[in-house]
Amino acid sequence: MKEYQLGEFEEIVLLTVGVLYPEAYGVALKDEIEGRLKRKVSVGALQSALRRMESKGYLHSREGEPNTERGGKPKRYFTITAYGKKALDHSKDVRLALYNAIPPVALDFKFT
Amino acid sequence: MIKRLANRLLRWYLHPDFYPDISGDLEELYLRNRAASPVVADWKYMLQVIVLFRPSLMRTFFKNSIIKDTGMLRNYFKIGVRSLLKQKAFTFINVMGLAVGLAAFLLIQQYVKFEESYDRHFADADQLYRLTTDQVVDSVLGTRDAMSFAPSGKALVEEVPEIIDATTTYKFGGLIFRKGESFVTEERVIAVDEHFLNLFTYEVLSGNTASLLSEPNSLVLSESKARFYFESQDPVGKTIYLQDFEKDFKVAGVIADPGQNTHYKFDILMAISTIKERLDQEAWNGYNYYTYVKLDKEANIDNIRPLLPALSKKYMGDDNTLVFNLQPVIDIHLYSDLTFEPEIHGSARAVSFLNLISIFILVIAWVNYVNLSTARSFDRAKEVGIRKVVGARRNQLVFQFMTEAFMINVLGALLALGLAELALPSFNNLISKEILDHAWNDEGFLRNVGLFAFVGTLVSGVYPALVLSGFRPVMVLKGKFRNSKQGVWLRKGLVVLQFTASLSLIACTFIVYQQVSFMRSKDIGMSIDQIVGFRGPRSNNENFATQTQKRTLFAEELKNHPEIKGVAMISNLPGGGSSDVNSSSGGIKIVGKTDLLEATTYVLQINDEVINLLDIDLIFGRNFDRTRGADTATVLVNESFIKRFGLEVNETIVNEKIQFGKNLENPKWNIVGILKDVNRSSLKNAVEPTVYFYNDAPPQVMVKLEAGKYQEGLDVLAATWEQFFPNAPLKYAFLDERFDSLYQEDKRFGAVFGAFSVLALVVATLGLFGLSSFMAIQRTKEVGVRKVLGASVGHIVGIFYKDFLSLIVLALVVGAPLIYLGMNQWLDGYAYRISFPWLFLGLSLLIVLAIALLTVGYQVYKVAVLDPSKTLRYE
Repeated sequence: MKEYQLGEFEEIVLLTVGVLYPEAYGVALKDEIEGRLKRKVSVGALQSALRRMESKGYLHSREGEPNTERGGKPKRYFTITAYGKKALDHSKDVRLALYNAIPPVALDFKFT
Repeated sequence: MIKRLANRLLRWYLHPDFYPDISGDLEELYLRNRAASPVVADWKYMLQVIVLFRPSLMRTFFKNSIIKDTGMLRNYFKIGVRSLLKQKAFTFINVMGLAVGLAAFLLIQQYVKFEESYDRHFADADQLYRLTTDQVVDSVLGTRDAMSFAPSGKALVEEVPEIIDATTTYKFGGLIFRKGESFVTEERVIAVDEHFLNLFTYEVLSGNTASLLSEPNSLVLSESKARFYFESQDPVGKTIYLQDFEKDFKVAGVIADPGQNTHYKFDILMAISTIKERLDQEAWNGYNYYTYVKLDKEANIDNIRPLLPALSKKYMGDDNTLVFNLQPVIDIHLYSDLTFEPEIHGSARAVSFLNLISIFILVIAWVNYVNLSTARSFDRAKEVGIRKVVGARRNQLVFQFMTEAFMINVLGALLALGLAELALPSFNNLISKEILDHAWNDEGFLRNVGLFAFVGTLVSGVYPALVLSGFRPVMVLKGKFRNSKQGVWLRKGLVVLQFTASLSLIACTFIVYQQVSFMRSKDIGMSIDQIVGFRGPRSNNENFATQTQKRTLFAEELKNHPEIKGVAMISNLPGGGSSDVNSSSGGIKIVGKTDLLEATTYVLQINDEVINLLDIDLIFGRNFDRTRGADTATVLVNESFIKRFGLEVNETIVNEKIQFGKNLENPKWNIVGILKDVNRSSLKNAVEPTVYFYNDAPPQVMVKLEAGKYQEGLDVLAATWEQFFPNAPLKYAFLDERFDSLYQEDKRFGAVFGAFSVLALVVATLGLFGLSSFMAIQRTKEVGVRKVLGASVGHIVGIFYKDFLSLIVLALVVGAPLIYLGMNQWLDGYAYRISFPWLFLGLSLLIVLAIALLTVGYQVYKVAVLDPSKTLRYE
């Protein structure tokens, strides 16, 4: 894990950026996460995660056209970089490996 | 509004690279929310902005500062919070004390600032001067008068090149205006010339600025009066009917409302050319006008003043004793003390007294923090020791303790803001001025709150931080810790300071109250109960004789009613301000007995019923008598008048003659009687040397009502008035109320003083409460041992009392001379003053003593009743 640092919320954001490709920008991400995970996401939490991952190199961003609906402000679209993809793969592999390593008896619930 | 604020905040802290798209996202969300409810959308926007406040999104504020060392900083705060929560009583006392102290301090500072802001808002305010008239006889300065001659302003502009502009104004005593079908008395009307607005730069809201106030019979209204008379219509070009002039006046313009902080208040300006006839007639004969001049920017007032005596002689004649003088307009409100001021002025002394109180209160609160935190240093000594052992540097510890002080000060400041907001209505009420609508949205106030949170942290935090961080770990951890001698002395010194301050404030409050109640209850030489006074109606188109006759008939009619005990007429009602009287400065003598005395003599006109109605003692001679035709050449004088000549008051004066002025041909007046001195105005001033002339029906009417039937009496008065003068409003006032209103300023001063003294005492008591509690707890074991050895609870309390008693005695020794000097000086400002009331100093001492002993006693008692077997069980 030392190679790819990825927090739980960061991972969710990163995955959602993938889901929304190529239209992943702030509000769309917020809506998507809130819709899928049934939890409130503040702009602050979302944006700080995005910027953090951008500086780590997991994300790439480009500026869109200014939009009058947004008070003439541009959207910023995020896409996953190859390095970001690796981080996601890594995190998925680790989890899967862990999941598979659970001895079957531990999941064999018995209600007594 | 909220959104705009939020957006500004966002733009301030957010990294500029991130700003465009994040604010775009927020905008999009906002537009979505707005459909539901704009207000909720606003707040959601704000909330998002607040949540966005994160280090990873912020721009760089400080480079290489301690703030970046967030780990340690966070630790300081965490430790701070824990220690504040652990010692809840300590925290509460400090925060409360600081909150009360700071709230009081800031409110008073706001008031002080307001009082000092008088007349400073005009453009070039420092170049404005008021032309006053001094009386100088043999180079001795006599009465100084705020008024001047009508042509003098113009003359000065012509004579002195540095004086670039001047305006002549006249203040009416109240004029009757017509509004629709009813009549309104406007008390604040002044006649001014067209230069007025050049000097006093009020904003002209409508009307032709160039020609304003030049045309006769034209008015300029203040904004609120314009609304009062014309509601939403444009008043310019419309007319208002003035009863006193019996004609319509044209409204030429509207100006912004003059604020409260000017000494020359008005609601309506009239072009002075309306009363040109009067100005020309009085010319250099009477000085009844307020004249203001403007000096050139480069001019030096000290170069102009020496020119004035020569100019005075040139215009007023060589043998005149009057001299022009110039007085800075910005100093008038607080420092001027002339006769005939346009309003009761403020007092620089009262302002500086209040300033002093506010500083006292704040210092007391700070002292609380210093005392309590050093007193409990014992508790924290071990903590400091351990920290040092594990490697804390001293400056880190200082910073830690400063953080605690900061937290307490910030909490106190926030609470102070709340308290100030809550107390503001009562405070405005107390000082009878609306200096502030709200505390929480006043920029200056908020800045001060912030500023004093920091100043307070430094002042109150530094010493305890240095003491606490200075412990030597070896000593402390060995358990050999004792409070340092110096520390104890300092603490005792600070307690003495607090006691001294509280004692002084309480004593001063008593003395102020005592003086005011003395003035209000002192026998003023006449009886003013059950008497109402009002001015007879004026009318310009009835001649003088008709008016007098009508007034006389009105008075006779009133006397027919049994509810009315008497009616008398006088030129100026008793209970007026210092300027509400006529005077003559032309010199006076008692023919054949004295030389001409160049001094101001005050003049009242009375009819023959005034003496009886007011029950004034006639010492020698007789009253006027209307049946004697010869009484038109007679006068009454008062004792002060005689004494001023250096003569003894006895019957030889009766039937002597007085003569005004140097001209030997001037009429001589026969003195028919000598009246006892009566105080017609505030007891701040001595009784004026007064001459009473006889007049059948002077303009002011006094009606004495039958005791117990005053309501019926007032009804009769109103009905009779309506019958005689249907077109004029009747505005009367009880004489005792008039006198009371003279002491308004003093009463207010006393009330403010009292309120804040109580606050100071409360804060000091809080501190004492905390301090004695710590001391008692620290000495728990000593108390246990004493009890085991047979000491009673009373005995133990006594031991503690001894410490505090000596402090209080010391406070008395320090405070008494200060109080004596300060208050004696204050009392000297009154012509009639109480002698220094030592009794009240004693009483204040008793109060401080009682509160201190109760507070300390309570804390000690709590410890003293503990079972020694419990307090000593660890030994």
